[in-house]
Amino acid sequence: MSINPAIPAPDQTSTPLEPIEMPNRITGWRLVVRGRLNKICLAIVGIYFLVGLLSLLPAPSQIGLGNVPGFKSIKSFDQLIDYKYDPDQPYAPPALSYKDSQGIRHYSPAMWFGLDFSGHSVFWQVLYGARTALLITVLTSVLMLSIGTSLGMIAGYFGGWIDDIITWVYSVIGTIPWLLLVIAMTYILSSNESLKEPPTHAPGPVAAFFKNILPTDLLIVIFALGLTDWVSLCRLIRGETLKLRDSDMVAAGRALGLSELRIIFRHILPNVSHLIIITFTLSAVGYLQVEVVLSFLQLGVSSKPSWGHMIDDAKLTLLRGVWWEVTAATGAIFIICMALTLLGDSLRDALDPKLRGRD
Amino acid sequence: MLAYLLRKFLLTLSIIFGVILLTFVLFNVVAKDPVRAMGGKQMKETDRIRITHEMGLDKPRFALNFAEYHETGSKWSLLDTQFFNILAFQFPKSQRHQESVWSLFGRKAPISFLVQAPAFVIGLGLQIAIAIIVAAKRKSVLDYSTTFAAVLMMSIPGLSIYLAFQWFFGAYLKIFPVAGWSPGFLLAIHFAAMPILVSVIANLGSSIRFYRTVALEEVNADYVRTARAKGVSQTNVLLVHVLRNLLIPVVTNTIVALPFLLTGALVLEKMFQIPGFGGLLTEAIGANDSPVIMAEVYLTAIAYAIMLFVTDICYTLVDPRVVLR
Repeated sequence: MSINPAIPAPDQTSTPLEPIEMPNRITGWRLVVRGRLNKICLAIVGIYFLVGLLSLLPAPSQIGLGNVPGFKSIKSFDQLIDYKYDPDQPYAPPALSYKDSQGIRHYSPAMWFGLDFSGHSVFWQVLYGARTALLITVLTSVLMLSIGTSLGMIAGYFGGWIDDIITWVYSVIGTIPWLLLVIAMTYILSSNESLKEPPTHAPGPVAAFFKNILPTDLLIVIFALGLTDWVSLCRLIRGETLKLRDSDMVAAGRALGLSELRIIFRHILPNVSHLIIITFTLSAVGYLQVEVVLSFLQLGVSSKPSWGHMIDDAKLTLLRGVWWEVTAATGAIFIICMALTLLGDSLRDALDPKLRGRD
Repeated sequence: MLAYLLRKFLLTLSIIFGVILLTFVLFNVVAKDPVRAMGGKQMKETDRIRITHEMGLDKPRFALNFAEYHETGSKWSLLDTQFFNILAFQFPKSQRHQESVWSLFGRKAPISFLVQAPAFVIGLGLQIAIAIIVAAKRKSVLDYSTTFAAVLMMSIPGLSIYLAFQWFFGAYLKIFPVAGWSPGFLLAIHFAAMPILVSVIANLGSSIRFYRTVALEEVNADYVRTARAKGVSQTNVLLVHVLRNLLIPVVTNTIVALPFLLTGALVLEKMFQIPGFGGLLTEAIGANDSPVIMAEVYLTAIAYAIMLFVTDICYTLVDPRVVLR
């Protein structure tokens, strides 16, 4: 690194700084891609991402996300409890095909994972549940990563009273157990009815987008998760920035007269980006799991294609023998969580071995 | 040492103040009106005013201007009252049960404890035992398969594990009751057996991973090599030397987990119909009983902050290498 010797670095002049060992991001990434297990995990994550993107499109009506022809539908749990045995029962175990009311056999993926208690196809619900999962993981991560990264870099770079305040804020948030805080936040946001009203002033397409893709209950979950989960990332990035602040790179930037914002976002940010990638993969797992808990407490996403909602249904239907709905939804969560955990582990080992064991 | 403790103590106090401020803002500014949320639209206006007054919510929120003081005739703002109430550990009354949170806590916490404490002790023993064995046989088939199994267990949602056990042992094999509770110690154990088993299994995955990493660091340490060199047997090395050093993270985790033994598990208690403190919270969410939710957030956070402070002190007691500055 060449610094113009005519301009002395403002802070450190006397003692030469120890070189800081930076993880080599490109080699690390190559290491991750080379492993066979990692390739499989990357492929799984890619497939889920693709399915999630496709499921953002409106569902065609004929695929049986609604009712499969020839099957009754039950609208409420009260009806389910009163329900007596009926040959064309609304819920049906997995099968390759089904017969409609005229007795004609149809081969359709709608029946592959069976039907749930209201006669909806579990297969299509699992696929369209990827929409909720994708929106929650990606949007929450964007919110969480932007808060955590910017606050962490600001605290670490400026130090002093700014650092004290930010440290205090994240200590306070970190003191309340995360699950409890998320539940309280979701409860509070959903108890405020003025937040629940649809945006009336918005133009048509925007209102339709919020109604169909991002309903308010989903937004509430995203905000409750994102506003509370940035603490550990902020702590990590603050520590890393504290080290980088004293590096030659930043001294050179200061000597060249770069603005502080430019130093933070163009020079420090790329050097903490590995922390962001690792945190993203490992925290997405947590969001998927917490979504199930929120659904169980009736605080989660209320519209149906959601894996948490499907697992929550089982607390009433599993003892009646409907095992396929909970199995399919658990399988969907299980595969993506496993892929993300394994991938996150190898990313962490390759990019920043110091972090090992900090789960 | 004393200066360090004093500084830590003041920091803990400031964090508790922050928790009170944060929860106040969340529950009294962001949340619309707890009374209206509780009663719904059918609530009579007179009832609403009465309950609002009972809960003390008709005071000004912050003491920002004296005009507000003058109008309401009350001396304190809502934040002041809540702040001093919480410092004196006086929580608002539960609107659903019409009794104070403390008496509810006194009634429900032992039930939670009866489930959580055995689960925690059995779980901790299993986790440490597995972690030490796995760390001793590093890079063997056993190590890889255990680590992989831990990842598999972490990836299954807890609720699915509870459901599967409830169905398999309760409804299919009929070994344990599906759900329920009964007073009396022996009957309670009969009902608590499955929740204990399930929560041990559901928490196993992530903890094994954590303790394995800690144990690996210890197994590779210099003192282990020295012990081996002077002829200490493998079991002795693991059970005496490594285990004692593993105590540091164990003590930290145990102290921090203590308050949660009393507050119980949210999902588990609702799932198995255990009338504990965690089940009270899930019930309060359904019934819009915000004083209980608020008190639970306060209590857990304050207990957690205090326990973190205690952990710092215990570090010195367990590990003579740690010097507090």
